Amino acid sequence: MKLEIKDASFGYRKDKLIFKNVNLSVTDGDVLAILGPNGAGKTTLLKCLMGLLPWRQGASYLNGVDIRTISAKNLWQQIAYVPQAKGVSSAFSVEEMVLLGRGSHLNFFSKPQAKDFELVDELLERLHITKLKGKHCNQLSGGELQMVLIARALASNAQILILDEPESNLDFKNQLIVLDTISALAAQGMICLFNTHYPAHALQRSNKAFILSKGGEYQFGPTRSLITEENIAKAFGVKAVIGQVETPGQMFTDVIPLSVLTDPLNYTDTPDKEALAVISIINGDFAQAENINNLLHCYSEYLIGRMGMPYKEDNVYIINITLKAPKERIEELVHALSLLPKVNVKATYATLT
Amino acid sequence: MKKPLIGELSLLSKIVLLILPFICAFFALGIGRMNISPAEVLNALHSSFNSDITVNPLTYATIYNVRLPRIILALLVGLGLSLSGLAFQSLFANPLATPDTLGVASGASFGAALGILLGFNLIGIEIAAFFFGAVAVFLTYLSSSGKNRSTTSLVLGGIMIGSLFSALVSLVKYTADTDSQLPEITYWLMGSLQQTGFDSLKIGAPLIIIGAVVLYALRWRLNILPLSDDEAKSSGVNIRTLRLITIICATMMTGACIAMCGQVGWVGLLIPHICRMRFGNNHLSLVPASASLGASFMVIVDTIARSLLAAEIPISILTAIIGAPFFIILMRKSGGWQL
Repeated sequence: MKLEIKDASFGYRKDKLIFKNVNLSVTDGDVLAILGPNGAGKTTLLKCLMGLLPWRQGASYLNGVDIRTISAKNLWQQIAYVPQAKGVSSAFSVEEMVLLGRGSHLNFFSKPQAKDFELVDELLERLHITKLKGKHCNQLSGGELQMVLIARALASNAQILILDEPESNLDFKNQLIVLDTISALAAQGMICLFNTHYPAHALQRSNKAFILSKGGEYQFGPTRSLITEENIAKAFGVKAVIGQVETPGQMFTDVIPLSVLTDPLNYTDTPDKEALAVISIINGDFAQAENINNLLHCYSEYLIGRMGMPYKEDNVYIINITLKAPKERIEELVHALSLLPKVNVKATYATLT
Repeated sequence: MKKPLIGELSLLSKIVLLILPFICAFFALGIGRMNISPAEVLNALHSSFNSDITVNPLTYATIYNVRLPRIILALLVGLGLSLSGLAFQSLFANPLATPDTLGVASGASFGAALGILLGFNLIGIEIAAFFFGAVAVFLTYLSSSGKNRSTTSLVLGGIMIGSLFSALVSLVKYTADTDSQLPEITYWLMGSLQQTGFDSLKIGAPLIIIGAVVLYALRWRLNILPLSDDEAKSSGVNIRTLRLITIICATMMTGACIAMCGQVGWVGLLIPHICRMRFGNNHLSLVPASASLGASFMVIVDTIARSLLAAEIPISILTAIIGAPFFIILMRKSGGWQL
C-alpha cells in the first residue's frame, strides 16, 4: 500500500491557493502526523487527500492510481476516515454506529447480516470498548465517542486510517488511549495519518511528519529531523524547547512551549555540530531484531563501532553502537528506534572540543 | 426463537405492526352513518369470493363502493405522509423537516389547485402536485444552504417558501370560477377523503406504493442520510444517488397524497416522531413502524372525521386536534429525541 500526493495545489477560490505543490507519500506501517496551528488548513489537506475536496492541480494516488479514477466503493474499502467527533450525529446506538462503516461492503439494497454483527463485536473487543455495547452515542464521553468512530472506520477493513484531530478536546487519559490505539494499529501494519496541533504527539507517535504553516508553506520528512525548535517557531510562532524526560526504562521526547514569538519567520536556531555518541539499545523482543538491523543499516556510513550480546536470563538483547554524525541524524535514529515496541534506547553524547 | 439483529423490530412488534392497520381498517368498515356489525362486515367481505353467501345489497354497496375505497385511501395516505415525513427528517438531519415545514405540502397544493383551475384530469393534477412539490423542496434547500446552514435556517426557508406557495394558491383561488372551481379547490384544500372511488385510487396508489417499496428496500441505507457529508461519502455509499432517490420518493408520495385528498397536516411530523421515540433512530425498524402506524392513525382519524358529527369534519382539523396533545404527552414522557 502506498498513498501519495504529487504536486497538488488547493484553494477554495481559484486566485487564492491555501497550499501549493504539495508532495507527500506514506507506505505500510507509517504513521504520518500532519502538524500545524489552528486554521492552517490541516482538515482541508486531509479532505483533498481523500478526494472529498477537489485538488486544483495535481492529484492523490493510491498505489500509483489517481484516486479520482477509483470507484467510491473500492476507494472506501481501502481508506477509512474518522472525522472530528464534535460535529458527529449521535442518533444511533454504538453498534448501529459501527455498522454504518460496513457501507462500502454492502449492496445498495442490502442490510447487514449476522457476520457483520460479529465483526462489530470483534472490533469493539479489539479496541477494548466492549463495555460500550448497548449504549447510545449521546450517552458517551468525548473519548468514548472517538473510539466508537475509530471502530466505525475499521469496520470497512481499510488498511489506511485517516483521523482528523483525534485527540483534541480529550483529557489526558483519553488522549493516551486514542494515541495508543493509533500506535497499535500502525504496529499491525496499517497506515495511519492524523492531524494534530500538538508537536509532542507527532514526536511521540509518528515516524513521518508534515508541518503546515498558516501561510501555506509546508515541510515533509522524518518526524525527528523535521520537528525542531526552529520549525516549531516558524509554523506555530512559538519559542519552544524540545527536551527529553528519562525514566528508568525509556526516554521520552517532549515539546515545551516557552513564549510567543513576535517575528517567527526570522527565528534562527544555532546549527547543530557533528557529534560523537553511543546509542544503547535493549531489545526485549527478538522479532524486532530485523527492524533494528534495517534501521542501523541506513546509518552505516556514520557507524564507528558496534557490539551486541544476548542476555538470556532476562531474555533481552543488548546492542551498543557508536557513531559520529550530525546531531540531528543521531536524534533521528534514536527516535526511529524508540518507536519500535519493546525496544528501550538512549543516546549518550561525548563532549568534543 | 431467533434473536432480532440490532436495530430490527422484535418478532412481536413486527406481528403487531403488520396486523394493526388491517384491524383498524376492519373496524372502520363497520363504523359510519350506517353501522354494520363486524359479523356482517366479515360476511360481506367473504361474499365476494363465495357466491353462496348472500348479503343485504345496501350493506354490500356501502362497504364496497363507499367505505372500502376510502379506507384504502386512508391507509395509503397515512403510510405515504408518514414515510415521506420520515425521509425528509433524515434527509435534512432535522427533526422539524416534514412535508409541511419544508413547503412541499404548499407547493404540491399549489400544483393541484392550478391543475383544478386549468381543468386537468386526475393524472394531470397529480403530476402538477408532484412537480410543484419538488420545486418547493428545491427552493427551500437553496434558500437555506447558504453560509450559515442550520436547523433553524432550513425551517425558516421552508416557512418562507410555504407562504410563497400559499400566496400562489390564494391567487389561483382568486382567479377561479366562484360557482364551480372555487368551492372545489377550497374543500379539497381542507383535506378530505370523501370523493374517492377506485378510479382515483388507481392513479395515486401506485405512486405511493412504489415510493414506499423503494424506501423499504433502502431502509438500512437511510441511516447514512443524517450523517455529515464527508462521513456519508467516506462510508462508501453513493450519497448523491441515495439522496436523490429519497427526495424523489418522498416528494412523489407527498404529491400523490395531496392530489388525492388535499392537504392533510401533521401526520408526517407526528408519526415519525412517535416512532423515533419508541423505536430509536434505526431505519431498519423506523420505516416499517412509520408505515404501519401512519396508516392505522389515518384510518382511525378518518373514521372519526366521517362518523362523529352529522356533517363530515375536515381531516386536517382532526389530525391536529388528536395528534398534538398525544404528541406533547409522548414528548414530555420520553424527553424527545435527537437526530
